[in-house]
Amino acid sequence: MGDLLRVEGLVKYFSTDQGLIASRLSKKVHAVDGISFTVRSGETLGLVGESGCGKSTTGRCLIRLLEPTAGTIDFDGIDVRALKGRALQEFRRDVQFIFQDPYASLNPRMTIGEIVTEPLAVHRLGTPQERRARAKELLDVVGLNPEHINRYPHEFSGGQRQRIGIARSLALKPRLVICDEPVSALDVSIQAQVINLLDDLQDQFGLTYVFIAHDLSVVRHISDRVAVMYLGKIVEVGGWQGLYDEPHHPYTQSLLSAVPVPDPAKQRTRERIILQGDVPSPIDPPNGCRFHTRCPIAQDICHHQEPELRQVAPDHEAACHFAKPFPIELAAVAPGTEAADAV
Amino acid sequence: MALLEVSDLKTQFTTRDGVVRAVDGVSFALEEGHTLAIVGESGSGKSVTALSIMRLIPDPPGKIAAGKVVLRGESVLDMSDADVRAMRGDRIAMIFQDPMTSLNPVFRVGFQIGEALRIHKGMSRKEADARAVEMLDLVGIPNAPHRAKDYPHQFSGGMRQRAMIAMALACDPDILIADEPTTALDVTIQAQILELMIELQQRKGTAIIMITHDLGVVADMADDVMVMYAGKQVEYGSADAVFYSPQHPYTWGLLDSLPRHDIDEKGTLLPIEGQPPSLIDVPPGCAFHPRCPYAQAVCRETCPELREIEPGHMAACHFAGTDSLVRGRVATAEGEVR
Repeated sequence: MGDLLRVEGLVKYFSTDQGLIASRLSKKVHAVDGISFTVRSGETLGLVGESGCGKSTTGRCLIRLLEPTAGTIDFDGIDVRALKGRALQEFRRDVQFIFQDPYASLNPRMTIGEIVTEPLAVHRLGTPQERRARAKELLDVVGLNPEHINRYPHEFSGGQRQRIGIARSLALKPRLVICDEPVSALDVSIQAQVINLLDDLQDQFGLTYVFIAHDLSVVRHISDRVAVMYLGKIVEVGGWQGLYDEPHHPYTQSLLSAVPVPDPAKQRTRERIILQGDVPSPIDPPNGCRFHTRCPIAQDICHHQEPELRQVAPDHEAACHFAKPFPIELAAVAPGTEAADAV
Repeated sequence: MALLEVSDLKTQFTTRDGVVRAVDGVSFALEEGHTLAIVGESGSGKSVTALSIMRLIPDPPGKIAAGKVVLRGESVLDMSDADVRAMRGDRIAMIFQDPMTSLNPVFRVGFQIGEALRIHKGMSRKEADARAVEMLDLVGIPNAPHRAKDYPHQFSGGMRQRAMIAMALACDPDILIADEPTTALDVTIQAQILELMIELQQRKGTAIIMITHDLGVVADMADDVMVMYAGKQVEYGSADAVFYSPQHPYTWGLLDSLPRHDIDEKGTLLPIEGQPPSLIDVPPGCAFHPRCPYAQAVCRETCPELREIEPGHMAACHFAGTDSLVRGRVATAEGEVR
């Protein structure tokens, strides 16, 4: 399978000041700071990380909901950043978005039939009758009753609303769908329904997903490949199995060890890496490796030299000077001591 | 005698559309120094259970319609308002999901922590301030004397939750009720907070009621687990019993719909079909029957009582513990197996 989406050196800075004269003086939020990745046709790439790591900003830049500060985005041979007018609109038929909040992303004054076919109306596709027929078809595809086409969003539960959002994203038969935390607002039992639905739709329509979420278990379940982000950088990327079985970056390792598993005996005996402190501010990210302020194995080099992503196994890259497979004996190594032995 | 005994608690809200039975007959006992987890999805009544114990149900529209809450032999539901105020924050303290909305933005953090001490322990401003600094230090806030003078907005999310814990534990309560204390936090910060709660519990012997929807957090913290659905307790037992030999089909559904990252293969998620019921219009019989793949005629008519399946392990299902209920195998009327 070929690459559908290729991202090179994507950067997005936000100005902290909206004023007229402040732009040159004010500080910048380094939301996304030079990330590169590819998404193969038909696969799901998971983007995972904690709040403020830049995963949602990345998703929004991919479809130009936000204008990137720098970098290139190549979608099936099209230079996305150069698109204007008609060409941009054409591109947006191929790429759709599913939002996190099923309450805020549906217009309460539109019927769900209107919501689901709005993309067709925007792109002037089909007659009203054809659109209506398509709406019923789409509702059926996502497991809603097509008879409910004239109801309003408030008549539906959170899980059903998320299905409406998914139906809308499918209306234009897109090739790439960016899912930004599509299940995090849902209860566990409903979350599983929506995940299974996304899986089925991918098989049925040959969709490619970029799946953005903070829940490591959900991302593992749905993704073929996973990229872990920290403070605007990708720190580790690879096939789901390699990344979860043998995480090489100490951040990925601590992230995985921090997620409690629903198994009391395992929980009692699991070795956990508890990271100290908070994520530093993206306004003034640390020099060198951005993770060094919290990293249990950080050395001098990490303070001044930024590690590049390098291959650590087939289809598996990590950005750490000391990347090595789990288990790094993190607990035994105090910051700044004999971690050099671990190289 | 248990530290806290709750029996047949019923809390209702009167609304324009009818009476909402938010908590409908919940019973449990909490031992000294133990942790009880209350698990359930949104609207299952877990938070209302906690608020009822604290007598924080707004009346009207709410009302504790029946039941007993007994703290060290003393009936909480019969206390005078003054006694309840003396109990809250001193003997039972509570922390909430969103630390930003539970801290007052216009007072310094240290002053807010000291408030309970001034009220309950009659400390002077100076004594309370000193103790607040001690508490901040205890919950791992670096440079506590300085940070006590900060306002809440100067704290990060994890630090605010630490400050809330410091506030809750300032008076050495017997019971700490934690309502989704880590839901708003990132996982690495969640791990810090859970670790802190376990450590403080061991040091101070505080009993904890942990309200959460996250079964991982339950497995991490709980001695005992109570599973709630539509205001009712559907399963209750030790954490090991509930995780390793769950008896209620709803509990199975919760466990089977959870993606896991600690198991080699990607299993298939088996969601619970349908939606949780509206509490105004709870299905007759067992509230779970419309979503239960094992439901039979009796489930539509009679509400199952909570009964003991194994010693200390209860479930509210007509077929729990019988041969007609085998996890993952559904016997239909035609004798087919799904």
